[in-house]
Amino acid sequence: MKPSAISDMSIPVTPGSSRLAWITDRIDLVDGLRIAVFAALAITAVLTPGFLSVPSLLALLTTLSFVGCVAVGMTMITLSGHIMSFSLGATAAAAAVAFVHVLNIWGLAAGVAAGLATGALISAAQGLIIGSLRANPIIVSIASLALIYGILNLLTGNATLDVNSGSVLAAAWRRPFGIPVETLAFLLCLAVGQFLLSFTIFGRRVFLIGSGMRSADVLGLRVWRSVTAVYAWAGLFAGMTGILLATRYNQANMEYGVGYDYDAIAAVLVGGVAIKGGLGSMWRTLAGVCLMATAQVVLLLYGFRQEWQYLIAGLIVLLVVVLQSRRRS
Amino acid sequence: MKIFSQKTRPYLILLATVLVLAVIDRGRGNVLSGATVFSALQYLATLGPVALGLSLTMLVREFDLSVAGVFGLAGCVAVLLGGDSPALGLAAAVLAGAASGFIQGLIITRLQMPSIGVTLGGLLTTIGLAYVLTGNQSLTFDNMDLALFLSARIGLFTPRSIVALALAAAFAMALYWLWIGRDLIAIGSDRRAAHTAGVRVDALMVLVFTTSGALAALSGALLSYSLASASPSGLSEVLVPATAAAILGGVSLSGGTGTPLGVTAGVLMLGVLRAGLNALGAPPFAHDMSMGAVLLAVAILDAPGIRAHFERLQTLTRSRTETQAP
Repeated sequence: MKPSAISDMSIPVTPGSSRLAWITDRIDLVDGLRIAVFAALAITAVLTPGFLSVPSLLALLTTLSFVGCVAVGMTMITLSGHIMSFSLGATAAAAAVAFVHVLNIWGLAAGVAAGLATGALISAAQGLIIGSLRANPIIVSIASLALIYGILNLLTGNATLDVNSGSVLAAAWRRPFGIPVETLAFLLCLAVGQFLLSFTIFGRRVFLIGSGMRSADVLGLRVWRSVTAVYAWAGLFAGMTGILLATRYNQANMEYGVGYDYDAIAAVLVGGVAIKGGLGSMWRTLAGVCLMATAQVVLLLYGFRQEWQYLIAGLIVLLVVVLQSRRRS
Repeated sequence: MKIFSQKTRPYLILLATVLVLAVIDRGRGNVLSGATVFSALQYLATLGPVALGLSLTMLVREFDLSVAGVFGLAGCVAVLLGGDSPALGLAAAVLAGAASGFIQGLIITRLQMPSIGVTLGGLLTTIGLAYVLTGNQSLTFDNMDLALFLSARIGLFTPRSIVALALAAAFAMALYWLWIGRDLIAIGSDRRAAHTAGVRVDALMVLVFTTSGALAALSGALLSYSLASASPSGLSEVLVPATAAAILGGVSLSGGTGTPLGVTAGVLMLGVLRAGLNALGAPPFAHDMSMGAVLLAVAILDAPGIRAHFERLQTLTRSRTETQAP
């Protein structure tokens, strides 16, 4: 993994005290296990009757894209050492409302711009507070969650906002080249995210800040700028989810995106982004999103009801977090 | 004792809230009434124990996200098992909450994990368990007598709010007089120093998380009994107010400060705010917004950065006066 070069240096290489530690120092046990789980799940999925059909796969690709965009945003926050945000789902809802509202007046392009800008602004404001004052990111995001829903409720009266023209996209545009438009948007978000992390100075700063805020300070980085940018991008990606949801259902509602924060952080952690920050990539998040979504579909096809998926998602996250610790201790 | 300090903050905020609401009301008596006190106490009954448990984990510089999940899970467990004997259901619910906290505490201390990650897993798992146990449906509780008893008014109180107040008083006394309070503050202030001084850090941390789980479970179970229903969803809305109450109650995120009485004042402040806004005829989202705004304000005031800015400003002005003096 190239982008984690900086963070790798900050982890002291301790000589293994036992033979097991000697092995785990060299072969990353957690990643090995992760690959094994991915392979096992892939084989199970392929062997599951009904999984490998075009409608099933298209539905899978569409649904995973909604959480996927939020997960791309969450990855930025987790990588920068701010653990997670509880307000990205609400941000998506705000973006959906802004999107439909502007779309009804000025058309699609203006709507998309308004949706993305709304997401980015809401989130950047939190990043500014967190970055410049070093306020606790969890608390700020919880406070923002209450504020965003309050303001949304004030503005919309908890009503559903319909698209005037009936449909955002013509039928032909729902699946350009046979791929759902949601998936294309998700892949675009992933590519933009990974480009930022791999090829820009900003990306390097994200990894540095995530590895150690204090060392970034000592180096003379203006940390608050990078943190604000991290949150702005996260909000923008979450805004994309809002736009996609509104496009899909041709309306916007405060309820959009509820619970996506949890699904997104689950995917990010399962993919192997370190919860302490400074280590990970968008590809890992993509893997995590795919794993969680595939697991859900497979469970459903084997007749497990929806509620089991919640439990298994929770257990997977708990397991991953615990396994991550073994690498560090 | 200073009037404006971390210790007096919760009571001052509570007082300020009452005053502001009364001024907005302009003496019509909508806010300053028994009804407001009653509904604030009902709010305390639901939220008080959860905020108390959460604040204990914050006291030792950790954070228990799973209280929200445990709260909902306990309600479902109590209603499922309490059909014949409510006491059994309550005991099972509290035991489940304590077990969840115990396991998470063990993981956190044994593996030296950040509690946010572990309790996030715990939160998702307990929410999932609640869904599985109830089969994704809302349950009804047949014992209406118990529901009515728990909601029966005794003056301004109900049995539920008396339980919450008694718990707050018990914890306040325990932390004030017993060695445990001193040890918890030591852990929260400087874990390594506490360990060196002979504090049993790990055991106490596990105890704190177990207590936090049990308190959240107790509160969730009693709420479900009094509502005569339980459902897996919708109960997770306790996390925001519980955190807000703990922070408003003078618990610092950097650990080592906070008292049960302060947290109780914090919960009461949110309850008064809600009841007062209702009495004033404000729309329901006004409470959400003011709670978010207050929490954000306290988060900013508590931020280490703002203290650094402030100190820089102080030294700047001090050096200026010093250079002017000679």
